[in-house]
Parts: sequence; C-alpha cells; structure tokens
Amino acid sequence: MPRAIRGVLIECDPSIKSIIVNIDSVNHDFIIEDLDEERVVVKENMVHLLKQKLEDRLKENLPPVDESGSE
Amino acid sequence: MSNFKKSLRLALTGGGNHNSFGVPSSLLVPPEIDLAFLDRYARKKWEDVLHFVVSSVGYKSSLGDGSGPNKGVKELLIAGRLVDRRPNGSLGITQAGFTFLLQEANAQVWTLLLLWLEVLGNNKSSGLDPVDMLSFLFMLASLELGRAYDTNALTEERRNMLPSLVDFGLIYIPQHKRSMFFPTRLATTLTSGGNSLRTISEGVTAATQSAQTSQQSLGPLGGGGEQQAGSVVIETNYRLYAYTQSALQIAVLALFAKLNMRFPDMVAGRLSRASIRQAINFGITADQIISYLAAHAHEQMHRTAALTNKPVLPPTVVDQIRLWQLENERMKTTSGFLFRDFTDDKDYLDTARFSEEIGVLVWKNDHARMFFANKHEQIKDFLKTRKRAE
Repeated sequence: MPRAIRGVLIECDPSIKSIIVNIDSVNHDFIIEDLDEERVVVKENMVHLLKQKLEDRLKENLPPVDESGSE
Repeated sequence: MSNFKKSLRLALTGGGNHNSFGVPSSLLVPPEIDLAFLDRYARKKWEDVLHFVVSSVGYKSSLGDGSGPNKGVKELLIAGRLVDRRPNGSLGITQAGFTFLLQEANAQVWTLLLLWLEVLGNNKSSGLDPVDMLSFLFMLASLELGRAYDTNALTEERRNMLPSLVDFGLIYIPQHKRSMFFPTRLATTLTSGGNSLRTISEGVTAATQSAQTSQQSLGPLGGGGEQQAGSVVIETNYRLYAYTQSALQIAVLALFAKLNMRFPDMVAGRLSRASIRQAINFGITADQIISYLAAHAHEQMHRTAALTNKPVLPPTVVDQIRLWQLENERMKTTSGFLFRDFTDDKDYLDTARFSEEIGVLVWKNDHARMFFANKHEQIKDFLKTRKRAE
C-alpha cells in the first residue's frame, strides 16, 4: 500500500541543496526524503528554521561584497 | 419624509443656516492672492512635510531644523509612525513612511488627516468631535478654489481646527486678514479621484509609468515634487547620480540605492547587494528597479547609448541587480504530499498519471516510484477505489 507523507518540497540549486543536507546532518530533523540533486522534501514545521539556518550559513560563507568602494 | 426632503434640498443648495458650502467672505480679497499663489503656497507646505519624512533617508536635509513643517505636524508624523525616533535621538523613516511617500498627493493628504483625526479623537480634552471634523473636511472639499471664505461663520470647534489645516497647507489665512481663509488645491481635491492606497511596489511602478509618459501629472500638485524624467545616471561601477531636488524621487532612489552625498540639485550613491536586498525586502522587484532606472535615465545616457549602439543601462548593472534578487530566492517551496512505497510499477504509474491528469502533480521520479503532489484527497480516493476493484 502506498504511503502519503505530508511535507514541503524544496527545489533549489545543487549547491544550496548540499548546504541543506549538511544542516540536516547534525540532527536529521529536517529532511523527510532526499529526492535528487535539486530537490528534497522537508518537514513542514521546520521550513522556517531551515530558511534561517541557510541564511546564516550563506552569510558566513559569502565574503562581504565590496561595500567600501571609494566614493 | 417631507422634512428630510426639505433638509436635503437645503443642504444641496447650501441654503438655510447649515452653510454646507461655507460662507464666502465679504471682505476685499488681497490682490496678490490668486490661484498660482495658493498652489505655490500649498505645494511649499506639503513639500515641507514630505521633506521632513524623507530627510532621514541616508542624507541630511539641507534645510536644517529651522524650516520644515510645524512642530505639531512633526509630532503627528511621529505619532503615526511614518517616522521613528531612533535610539540615538535622530529621526528615521519607517516602512509606513516609504509607502506614504509613494502615494498620490491626495492619498498622502488623507493619510495625514486620518492620523490627525485619530490623535485628536483619542485626546478627549481637545473637545473636538471627529465626526464634526470629518464633515468639516468634506465641506472644505466642496469649497471653491481661489475664493475667500469667512472664518466667523464657522463654529468655534471648526475655527480651532484652522491652525492645523494651515500647517498642512490645506487652507491659507492671510497675515493681516485673519477673518478670511482660502482653501487650497489640497483641500478642494480631497474628495475627487480618491485612488486606493498604493503599496511600495505599486508606487514604484506608478513613478516609473509617470516618467515613461513624461507627464508631470502626479496628483493635483504634481505629487511630492516634480517627477523629472531623465535625471538618473548610472555607471558600470554601480555608481548612481541623480540630478533632482524632488523629495519623492530621492526617496524612491533611497529605496534601492545607498545614497551618500547630497548636493543642492543632485544626489550621488551606489547600488550594492545590501541596498538591492533591502529593496526586495520592501517588496520591490529587480524588474521594477530596472524599469525605474530605464525610465529615468539621463539624456546623456540615451545619447551615449545611441552613439555606441549599446543599451541605455549598463548590462552588467542590469544583470547584477537580477542576480542579487535571485540570491534572495534561493529555494522554491511547495507544500504537499510525497507518495511512495508503491507495490509495483503499474500501481505507481497509474496513480502518478491520475494525479497529473487532475493537475496536482509537482514532481515525479519513475525510477524511484515516488511523486510529489500538492493535494492528496482525490489521490486517496483514487487509491481506495482501485483497491476495492482488485
């Protein structure tokens, strides 16, 4: 008998996806199913937190873009 | 019934002692007060208000604290949270303030008036009745522009409202003839063409359109200052220069650019990842920013573009604005249901095909026998009937 699992499908770049997988790897509390390179299904109630964590992670990794630039 | 009929007729014709359309002043009108004078006066007053709201966007107003709107108006704007007092004591614009700036002048006036009514309504000691104040405003709207009216014909409460209305620029009272007042265009257009409030994003679109049609018809008074078409220069290094004095235009630019210098008739700044990000948080899209820049591109930009046969806006900048936007939309989320663990291929294929037919299929992988649908009720029913049929 097939099963239906409630969740949120996330479609994104492979790079972003790998970060999501990495975030999940700590407690395995986000991802329900890893579908392919660009898609994962995550728990509905965790999407918000995931977005936040992703933001934080990206902030760490992206160098502050040149905001100084001589005027 | 006949009483109502009589009263309505009286009100419509402005007869009796109701004075639905005000009482014209019998005094001699000073010759210098004409339509142009009143328009100039109202525009000045209203621009002061806008300047005050805008003066915190990345640059200091060149006017200083001495001029600008009256203290009462300032307090009203703060009470209405159009500007906010920052911890360091300076004033800063709020998002509501941005939305306010991008409204048509008419909507701006109403926003301010409603704030005013609210504040006075909460303050019982003022002794002003909001309903009566509102009907006074409607009366003002029905008055004739350029005509003097008698202040003595007004009730005392209404007379007490006059100083505030002067502060807003809705009426003008000559210095040496305090017993007459002139409604300005801001007042007489109060009830005409009341467009619904715009969001920030619609405001940007409207500003873009008005530049494209290069008509300076932003509301009754040309909005918050003349929308000058062709004033913005943008360079390949993301620097931006705008030859403008318009508070509104500067405010719009400050939405998506980091302005760091202001001269009497020019502002300079630059686009950055952070500034575009901020704009997107306000609900403005990259395309809106690009079309705003294109619509307001300086003549010189058009000339160079024509000479070198290149697009008006530097392609690097256009692309980068779009990329910055994409950066903020890193993932697309769809809530729904993942269907898996099908017993055999046929079972899976039939169900997947069914969900595709009813238009709920979002993603499927035939190999893994899984699919994702944004609704599940009909699929459940489908599976049940199938099972029964077996």
